[in-house]
Amino acid sequence: MTKSEFDPQVKQLLDGELTLADLPAELRQEGEEALRLLAAVDREPLSLPAVTWRVMATLERRRQRRLTWLLAPALAAAAALVLWFGRPANPPAAASSAMVTVRFVLVAPGAHQVSVAGTFNRWDPSATPLVRSGSADVWVATLSLPPGQHQYAFVVDGVRWVPDPTAPAIDDGFGRRNSVLTL
Amino acid sequence: MRRLGLLVLGLVAGATTALAAQQSIAARLSGRASPEIVTLVQDLGSSAASRGLPVDPLIQKAIEGNAKGVPSERVATAVRLVYAQLDTAAAALRSAGLNSPPDTVQVAAGGFAITAGLGGRDIAELARTGRPAAAVTVGLRVAGTLAALGVPPTEAVTLVSASLRAGQAPGDLLALPGRVQSEMARGATPAQAAAGLARAAAAQARHGPPPHPGPPPHPPAPPHP
Repeated sequence: MTKSEFDPQVKQLLDGELTLADLPAELRQEGEEALRLLAAVDREPLSLPAVTWRVMATLERRRQRRLTWLLAPALAAAAALVLWFGRPANPPAAASSAMVTVRFVLVAPGAHQVSVAGTFNRWDPSATPLVRSGSADVWVATLSLPPGQHQYAFVVDGVRWVPDPTAPAIDDGFGRRNSVLTL
Repeated sequence: MRRLGLLVLGLVAGATTALAAQQSIAARLSGRASPEIVTLVQDLGSSAASRGLPVDPLIQKAIEGNAKGVPSERVATAVRLVYAQLDTAAAALRSAGLNSPPDTVQVAAGGFAITAGLGGRDIAELARTGRPAAAVTVGLRVAGTLAALGVPPTEAVTLVSASLRAGQAPGDLLALPGRVQSEMARGATPAQAAAGLARAAAAQARHGPPPHPGPPPHPPAPPHP
Protein backbone atom coordinates (compact mmCIF):
# COMPACT_ATOMS: atom_id res chain seq x y z
CA MET A 1 0.00 0.00 0.00
CA THR A 2 1.50 3.28 -1.04
CA LYS A 3 -0.57 5.46 1.21
CA SER A 4 1.22 6.36 4.38
CA GLU A 5 -1.86 7.14 6.41
CA PHE A 6 -5.37 5.74 6.56
CA ASP A 7 -8.56 7.68 6.28
CA PRO A 8 -9.87 8.55 9.77
CA GLN A 9 -12.82 6.21 9.32
CA VAL A 10 -10.50 3.38 8.35
CA LYS A 11 -8.57 4.10 11.54
CA GLN A 12 -11.83 3.72 13.40
CA LEU A 13 -12.28 0.37 11.65
CA LEU A 14 -8.83 -0.69 12.84
CA ASP A 15 -9.69 0.53 16.30
CA GLY A 16 -12.75 -1.70 16.25
CA GLU A 17 -15.09 1.23 16.52
CA LEU A 18 -16.58 0.58 13.08
CA THR A 19 -17.15 -2.47 10.95
CA LEU A 20 -16.62 -2.75 7.22
CA ALA A 21 -20.35 -2.41 6.77
CA ASP A 22 -20.25 0.94 8.56
CA LEU A 23 -17.77 2.42 6.10
CA PRO A 24 -18.94 4.43 3.10
CA ALA A 25 -18.75 2.43 -0.11
CA GLU A 26 -15.76 4.41 -1.38
CA LEU A 27 -13.76 3.50 1.72
CA ARG A 28 -14.57 -0.19 1.93
CA GLN A 29 -11.77 -1.26 -0.40
CA GLU A 30 -9.27 0.71 1.65
CA GLY A 31 -10.71 -0.77 4.84
CA GLU A 32 -10.54 -4.32 3.51
CA GLU A 33 -6.96 -3.77 2.37
CA ALA A 34 -6.02 -2.40 5.77
CA LEU A 35 -7.51 -5.44 7.49
CA ARG A 36 -5.77 -7.74 5.04
CA LEU A 37 -2.44 -6.07 5.72
CA LEU A 38 -2.99 -6.42 9.43
CA ALA A 39 -4.03 -10.03 9.02
CA ALA A 40 -0.77 -10.69 7.21
CA VAL A 41 1.12 -9.81 10.34
CA ASP A 42 0.05 -12.97 12.07
CA ARG A 43 0.44 -15.39 9.22
CA GLU A 44 3.65 -16.74 10.67
CA PRO A 45 2.01 -18.29 13.72
CA LEU A 46 -0.04 -20.41 11.34
CA SER A 47 3.04 -22.53 10.83
CA LEU A 48 2.59 -23.79 14.38
CA PRO A 49 1.02 -27.21 13.94
CA ALA A 50 -1.33 -26.91 16.89
CA VAL A 51 -2.86 -23.63 15.87
CA THR A 52 -6.19 -24.04 14.15
CA TRP A 53 -7.63 -20.61 14.43
CA ARG A 54 -6.40 -17.16 15.30
CA VAL A 55 -7.65 -13.70 15.57
CA MET A 56 -5.60 -10.58 15.43
CA ALA A 57 -6.27 -7.31 17.13
CA THR A 58 -4.53 -4.04 16.91
CA LEU A 59 -3.88 -1.43 19.46
CA GLU A 60 -4.02 2.21 18.70
CA ARG A 61 -0.87 4.18 19.25
CA ARG A 62 -1.20 7.24 21.31
CA ARG A 63 0.63 10.21 19.98
CA GLN A 64 0.14 13.47 21.76
CA ARG A 65 -3.06 12.07 23.18
CA ARG A 66 -4.54 11.63 19.76
CA LEU A 67 -5.00 8.43 17.85
CA THR A 68 -2.70 8.48 14.89
CA TRP A 69 -2.46 5.50 12.62
CA LEU A 70 0.46 5.12 10.28
CA LEU A 71 0.61 1.97 8.23
CA ALA A 72 4.10 0.76 9.07
CA PRO A 73 3.97 1.47 12.81
CA ALA A 74 0.52 0.01 12.93
CA LEU A 75 1.66 -3.23 11.40
CA ALA A 76 4.90 -3.37 13.25
CA ALA A 77 3.86 -2.14 16.61
CA ALA A 78 0.32 -3.07 17.36
CA ALA A 79 -1.22 -6.45 16.99
CA ALA A 80 -2.97 -8.93 19.18
CA LEU A 81 -3.40 -12.56 18.47
CA VAL A 82 -5.82 -14.92 19.99
CA LEU A 83 -4.59 -18.40 19.28
CA TRP A 84 -7.05 -21.13 19.75
CA PHE A 85 -5.60 -24.54 19.68
CA GLY A 86 -6.20 -28.06 20.79
CA ARG A 87 -9.68 -28.35 19.33
CA PRO A 88 -10.24 -31.46 17.30
CA ALA A 89 -11.88 -31.02 13.93
CA ASN A 90 -14.86 -33.12 14.90
CA PRO A 91 -15.10 -33.33 18.67
CA PRO A 92 -17.36 -36.15 19.79
CA ALA A 93 -20.64 -35.11 21.33
CA ALA A 94 -19.65 -36.65 24.64
CA ALA A 95 -16.70 -34.28 24.84
CA SER A 96 -18.81 -31.16 24.34
CA SER A 97 -18.34 -30.16 27.95
CA ALA A 98 -14.56 -30.44 27.74
CA MET A 99 -12.65 -27.24 28.32
CA VAL A 100 -10.92 -25.64 25.37
CA THR A 101 -7.46 -24.18 25.74
CA VAL A 102 -7.25 -20.65 24.45
CA ARG A 103 -4.09 -18.64 24.23
CA PHE A 104 -4.35 -14.87 24.20
CA VAL A 105 -1.37 -13.03 22.77
CA LEU A 106 -1.15 -9.30 22.56
CA VAL A 107 1.61 -7.21 21.06
CA ALA A 108 1.36 -3.94 22.91
CA PRO A 109 4.37 -1.66 22.59
CA GLY A 110 4.82 0.65 25.49
CA ALA A 111 2.22 -1.05 27.64
CA HIS A 112 3.01 -1.50 31.32
CA GLN A 113 0.14 -3.84 32.08
CA VAL A 114 -2.20 -5.89 29.91
CA SER A 115 -5.11 -8.11 30.82
CA VAL A 116 -8.08 -9.73 29.18
CA ALA A 117 -11.57 -9.27 30.57
CA GLY A 118 -14.73 -10.92 29.39
CA THR A 119 -17.74 -13.02 30.11
CA PHE A 120 -15.42 -15.82 31.30
CA ASN A 121 -14.00 -13.82 34.19
CA ARG A 122 -16.89 -11.50 35.06
CA TRP A 123 -15.27 -8.69 33.11
CA ASP A 124 -12.69 -8.29 35.82
CA PRO A 125 -9.66 -6.44 34.41
CA SER A 126 -7.48 -7.70 37.24
CA ALA A 127 -8.51 -11.35 37.01
CA THR A 128 -6.53 -12.46 33.98
CA PRO A 129 -3.31 -10.53 33.49
CA LEU A 130 -1.16 -11.28 30.49
CA VAL A 131 2.55 -11.75 31.11
CA ARG A 132 5.46 -10.59 29.02
CA SER A 133 6.82 -13.32 26.84
CA GLY A 134 9.91 -13.23 24.69
CA SER A 135 9.85 -9.80 23.21
CA ALA A 136 9.15 -7.01 25.65
CA ASP A 137 6.09 -6.04 23.62
CA VAL A 138 4.47 -9.48 23.56
CA TRP A 139 1.97 -10.33 26.27
CA VAL A 140 0.52 -13.80 26.71
CA ALA A 141 -2.10 -15.61 28.76
CA THR A 142 -3.44 -19.14 28.39
CA LEU A 143 -6.90 -20.03 29.65
CA SER A 144 -9.15 -23.05 29.70
CA LEU A 145 -12.62 -21.99 28.69
CA PRO A 146 -15.85 -23.93 28.41
CA PRO A 147 -17.38 -24.43 24.98
CA GLY A 148 -19.83 -21.72 24.15
CA GLN A 149 -19.84 -18.12 23.12
CA HIS A 150 -17.60 -15.68 24.94
CA GLN A 151 -17.12 -11.94 24.65
CA TYR A 152 -13.95 -10.18 25.68
CA ALA A 153 -11.68 -7.19 25.30
CA PHE A 154 -8.09 -6.46 26.17
CA VAL A 155 -7.44 -3.91 28.88
CA VAL A 156 -4.20 -1.99 28.48
CA ASP A 157 -2.71 -0.23 31.47
CA GLY A 158 -5.95 -0.75 33.34
CA VAL A 159 -7.85 1.90 31.44
CA ARG A 160 -7.96 1.25 27.73
CA TRP A 161 -10.52 -1.33 26.57
CA VAL A 162 -9.30 -2.59 23.24
CA PRO A 163 -11.43 -4.80 20.99
CA ASP A 164 -9.99 -6.95 18.28
CA PRO A 165 -10.57 -5.22 14.95
CA THR A 166 -10.08 -8.29 12.80
CA ALA A 167 -11.94 -10.65 15.10
CA PRO A 168 -15.69 -11.02 15.06
CA ALA A 169 -17.04 -8.11 17.06
CA ILE A 170 -20.41 -6.93 18.21
CA ASP A 171 -21.83 -3.79 19.71
CA ASP A 172 -21.37 -3.88 23.48
CA GLY A 173 -24.36 -1.62 24.08
CA PHE A 174 -22.12 1.10 25.47
CA GLY A 175 -20.83 2.55 22.23
CA ARG A 176 -17.86 0.20 21.99
CA ARG A 177 -17.20 -3.23 20.54
CA ASN A 178 -16.67 -6.59 22.17
CA SER A 179 -14.66 -9.30 20.50
CA VAL A 180 -16.37 -12.64 20.12
CA LEU A 181 -14.91 -16.08 20.70
CA THR A 182 -17.11 -19.04 19.79
CA LEU A 183 -15.82 -22.40 21.01
CA MET B 1 -58.85 -29.46 50.82
CA ARG B 2 -55.92 -31.49 49.56
CA ARG B 3 -55.89 -29.47 46.32
CA LEU B 4 -55.83 -26.25 48.28
CA GLY B 5 -52.90 -27.55 50.28
CA LEU B 6 -51.01 -28.40 47.11
CA LEU B 7 -51.77 -24.98 45.67
CA VAL B 8 -50.47 -23.24 48.78
CA LEU B 9 -47.42 -25.46 48.77
CA GLY B 10 -46.80 -24.60 45.13
CA LEU B 11 -47.14 -20.88 45.77
CA VAL B 12 -44.77 -21.04 48.72
CA ALA B 13 -42.25 -23.03 46.69
CA GLY B 14 -42.52 -20.55 43.83
CA ALA B 15 -42.07 -17.59 46.14
CA THR B 16 -39.09 -19.27 47.79
CA THR B 17 -37.51 -19.98 44.41
CA ALA B 18 -38.06 -16.39 43.26
CA LEU B 19 -36.58 -15.05 46.49
CA ALA B 20 -33.58 -17.32 46.14
CA ALA B 21 -33.11 -16.15 42.56
CA GLN B 22 -33.23 -12.51 43.66
CA GLN B 23 -30.71 -13.15 46.41
CA SER B 24 -28.48 -14.95 43.94
CA ILE B 25 -28.60 -11.98 41.56
CA ALA B 26 -27.84 -9.58 44.40
CA ALA B 27 -24.91 -11.73 45.51
CA ARG B 28 -23.45 -11.91 42.00
CA LEU B 29 -23.78 -8.18 41.52
CA SER B 30 -22.51 -7.27 44.97
CA GLY B 31 -19.81 -4.65 44.56
CA ARG B 32 -20.13 -4.90 40.78
CA ALA B 33 -23.15 -2.71 40.10
CA SER B 34 -24.93 0.27 41.57
CA PRO B 35 -27.99 -0.37 43.81
CA GLU B 36 -30.41 0.81 41.14
CA ILE B 37 -28.88 -1.57 38.60
CA VAL B 38 -29.09 -4.43 41.10
CA THR B 39 -32.79 -3.69 41.57
CA LEU B 40 -33.37 -3.47 37.83
CA VAL B 41 -31.61 -6.77 37.16
CA GLN B 42 -33.56 -8.43 39.96
CA ASP B 43 -36.84 -7.23 38.46
CA LEU B 44 -35.92 -8.20 34.93
CA GLY B 45 -34.38 -11.43 36.19
CA SER B 46 -37.63 -12.46 37.87
CA SER B 47 -39.54 -11.70 34.72
CA ALA B 48 -36.99 -13.54 32.60
CA ALA B 49 -37.05 -16.63 34.80
CA SER B 50 -40.83 -16.77 34.69
CA ARG B 51 -40.75 -16.58 30.89
CA GLY B 52 -38.04 -19.17 30.38
CA LEU B 53 -35.38 -16.63 29.48
CA PRO B 54 -31.81 -16.89 30.77
CA VAL B 55 -30.85 -14.51 33.55
CA ASP B 56 -27.10 -14.73 33.19
CA PRO B 57 -26.81 -12.41 30.14
CA LEU B 58 -28.57 -9.66 32.15
CA ILE B 59 -26.12 -10.06 35.02
CA GLN B 60 -23.16 -10.16 32.66
CA LYS B 61 -24.20 -6.94 30.93
CA ALA B 62 -24.59 -5.16 34.26
CA ILE B 63 -21.16 -6.33 35.42
CA GLU B 64 -19.61 -5.39 32.08
CA GLY B 65 -21.03 -1.89 32.21
CA ASN B 66 -19.73 -1.36 35.71
CA ALA B 67 -16.29 -2.71 34.80
CA LYS B 68 -16.10 -0.33 31.85
CA GLY B 69 -17.08 2.63 33.98
CA VAL B 70 -20.32 3.23 32.13
CA PRO B 71 -22.92 5.50 33.83
CA SER B 72 -25.80 3.64 35.46
CA GLU B 73 -28.45 5.07 33.11
CA ARG B 74 -26.62 3.67 30.13
CA VAL B 75 -26.08 0.33 31.82
CA ALA B 76 -29.81 0.16 32.52
CA THR B 77 -30.57 0.79 28.86
CA ALA B 78 -28.14 -1.90 27.77
CA VAL B 79 -29.56 -4.44 30.24
CA ARG B 80 -33.10 -3.74 29.02
CA LEU B 81 -31.93 -4.19 25.45
CA VAL B 82 -30.42 -7.58 26.31
CA TYR B 83 -33.74 -8.59 27.87
CA ALA B 84 -35.61 -7.53 24.73
CA GLN B 85 -33.20 -9.45 22.51
CA LEU B 86 -33.60 -12.59 24.59
CA ASP B 87 -37.37 -12.20 24.45
CA THR B 88 -37.25 -11.83 20.68
CA ALA B 89 -35.04 -14.89 20.36
CA ALA B 90 -37.33 -16.99 22.56
CA ALA B 91 -40.39 -15.93 20.58
CA ALA B 92 -38.65 -16.77 17.32
CA LEU B 93 -37.63 -20.20 18.58
CA ARG B 94 -41.15 -20.91 19.77
CA SER B 95 -42.55 -19.79 16.42
CA ALA B 96 -40.38 -22.39 14.73
CA GLY B 97 -42.67 -25.08 16.15
CA LEU B 98 -40.03 -27.06 17.99
CA ASN B 99 -41.09 -30.26 19.68
CA SER B 100 -39.90 -28.98 23.03
CA PRO B 101 -39.75 -25.42 24.33
CA PRO B 102 -36.34 -23.78 23.87
CA ASP B 103 -34.02 -24.05 26.83
CA THR B 104 -32.22 -21.06 28.28
CA VAL B 105 -28.92 -21.99 26.60
CA GLN B 106 -30.59 -21.96 23.21
CA VAL B 107 -32.35 -18.68 23.96
CA ALA B 108 -29.05 -17.14 25.05
CA ALA B 109 -27.48 -18.27 21.77
CA GLY B 110 -30.38 -16.70 19.90
CA GLY B 111 -30.02 -13.50 21.90
CA PHE B 112 -26.36 -13.31 20.94
CA ALA B 113 -27.26 -13.86 17.28
CA ILE B 114 -29.73 -11.00 17.45
CA THR B 115 -27.12 -8.75 19.07
CA ALA B 116 -24.84 -9.62 16.17
CA GLY B 117 -27.43 -8.52 13.62
CA LEU B 118 -29.73 -11.44 12.90
CA GLY B 119 -33.50 -11.05 13.10
CA GLY B 120 -36.26 -13.16 14.58
CA ARG B 121 -37.01 -14.73 11.20
CA ASP B 122 -33.38 -15.77 10.86
CA ILE B 123 -33.49 -17.44 14.26
CA ALA B 124 -36.68 -19.29 13.36
CA GLU B 125 -35.23 -20.41 10.04
CA LEU B 126 -32.22 -21.95 11.76
CA ALA B 127 -34.46 -23.66 14.29
CA ARG B 128 -36.53 -25.16 11.46
CA THR B 129 -33.59 -27.09 10.04
CA GLY B 130 -34.85 -30.06 12.00
CA ARG B 131 -31.53 -30.68 13.71
CA PRO B 132 -31.22 -31.56 17.40
CA ALA B 133 -31.47 -28.66 19.83
CA ALA B 134 -27.77 -28.81 20.69
CA ALA B 135 -26.81 -28.50 17.02
CA VAL B 136 -29.21 -25.59 16.54
CA THR B 137 -27.64 -23.88 19.55
CA VAL B 138 -24.19 -24.17 18.01
CA GLY B 139 -25.65 -23.01 14.71
CA LEU B 140 -27.10 -19.91 16.32
CA ARG B 141 -23.75 -19.04 17.89
CA VAL B 142 -21.93 -19.60 14.62
CA ALA B 143 -24.46 -17.57 12.64
CA GLY B 144 -24.04 -14.72 15.12
CA THR B 145 -20.28 -14.97 14.87
CA LEU B 146 -20.48 -14.85 11.07
CA ALA B 147 -22.66 -11.75 11.28
CA ALA B 148 -20.13 -10.25 13.67
CA LEU B 149 -17.50 -10.84 10.98
CA GLY B 150 -19.53 -8.78 8.54
CA VAL B 151 -21.41 -11.56 6.77
CA PRO B 152 -24.91 -10.27 5.94
CA PRO B 153 -27.56 -12.08 8.00
CA THR B 154 -29.15 -13.73 4.98
CA GLU B 155 -25.86 -15.25 3.85
CA ALA B 156 -24.95 -16.22 7.41
CA VAL B 157 -28.25 -18.06 7.88
CA THR B 158 -28.01 -19.69 4.45
CA LEU B 159 -24.53 -21.00 5.23
CA VAL B 160 -25.36 -22.31 8.69
CA SER B 161 -28.70 -23.79 7.58
CA ALA B 162 -27.02 -25.62 4.71
CA SER B 163 -24.32 -26.88 7.05
CA LEU B 164 -26.88 -28.05 9.59
CA ARG B 165 -28.93 -29.79 6.91
CA ALA B 166 -25.78 -31.45 5.63
CA GLY B 167 -25.40 -32.94 9.08
CA GLN B 168 -22.08 -31.28 9.74
CA ALA B 169 -20.57 -31.99 13.16
CA PRO B 170 -20.34 -29.18 15.73
CA GLY B 171 -16.61 -28.95 15.12
CA ASP B 172 -17.23 -28.30 11.43
CA LEU B 173 -19.82 -25.64 12.24
CA LEU B 174 -17.46 -23.96 14.66
CA ALA B 175 -14.78 -23.89 11.98
CA LEU B 176 -16.96 -21.85 9.61
CA PRO B 177 -15.99 -18.37 10.93
CA GLY B 178 -12.31 -19.25 10.57
CA ARG B 179 -12.90 -20.49 7.03
CA VAL B 180 -14.75 -17.29 6.16
CA GLN B 181 -11.89 -15.26 7.61
CA SER B 182 -9.42 -17.22 5.49
CA GLU B 183 -11.41 -16.41 2.35
CA MET B 184 -11.60 -12.76 3.40
CA ALA B 185 -7.83 -12.70 3.82
CA ARG B 186 -7.62 -13.84 0.19
CA GLY B 187 -9.73 -10.91 -0.92
CA ALA B 188 -13.31 -12.20 -0.82
CA THR B 189 -16.00 -10.09 0.79
CA PRO B 190 -17.69 -11.65 3.80
CA ALA B 191 -20.80 -12.28 1.71
CA GLN B 192 -18.83 -13.92 -1.09
CA ALA B 193 -16.91 -16.09 1.34
CA ALA B 194 -20.07 -17.26 3.06
CA ALA B 195 -21.89 -17.86 -0.23
CA GLY B 196 -19.07 -20.04 -1.53
CA LEU B 197 -19.05 -22.16 1.60
CA ALA B 198 -22.85 -22.38 1.54
CA ARG B 199 -22.78 -23.77 -2.00
CA ALA B 200 -20.32 -26.42 -0.91
CA ALA B 201 -22.46 -27.31 2.11
CA ALA B 202 -25.60 -27.51 -0.03
CA ALA B 203 -23.81 -29.82 -2.44
CA GLN B 204 -22.73 -31.95 0.50
CA ALA B 205 -26.33 -32.11 1.70
CA ARG B 206 -27.42 -33.33 -1.74
CA HIS B 207 -24.66 -35.81 -2.43
CA GLY B 208 -23.34 -36.69 1.01
CA PRO B 209 -19.97 -35.89 2.49
CA PRO B 210 -16.86 -36.32 0.38
CA PRO B 211 -15.25 -39.74 0.78
CA HIS B 212 -13.05 -39.85 3.84
CA PRO B 213 -9.50 -40.70 2.94
CA GLY B 214 -8.89 -44.14 4.35
CA PRO B 215 -5.59 -45.63 5.38
CA PRO B 216 -3.06 -46.07 2.63
CA PRO B 217 -3.28 -49.41 0.91
CA HIS B 218 -0.82 -52.03 1.93
CA PRO B 219 2.23 -52.07 -0.29
CA PRO B 220 2.43 -55.12 -2.50
CA ALA B 221 4.32 -57.96 -0.99
CA PRO B 222 7.85 -58.18 -2.25
CA PRO B 223 8.29 -60.91 -4.81
CA HIS B 224 9.73 -64.08 -3.51
CA PRO B 225 13.19 -64.73 -4.73
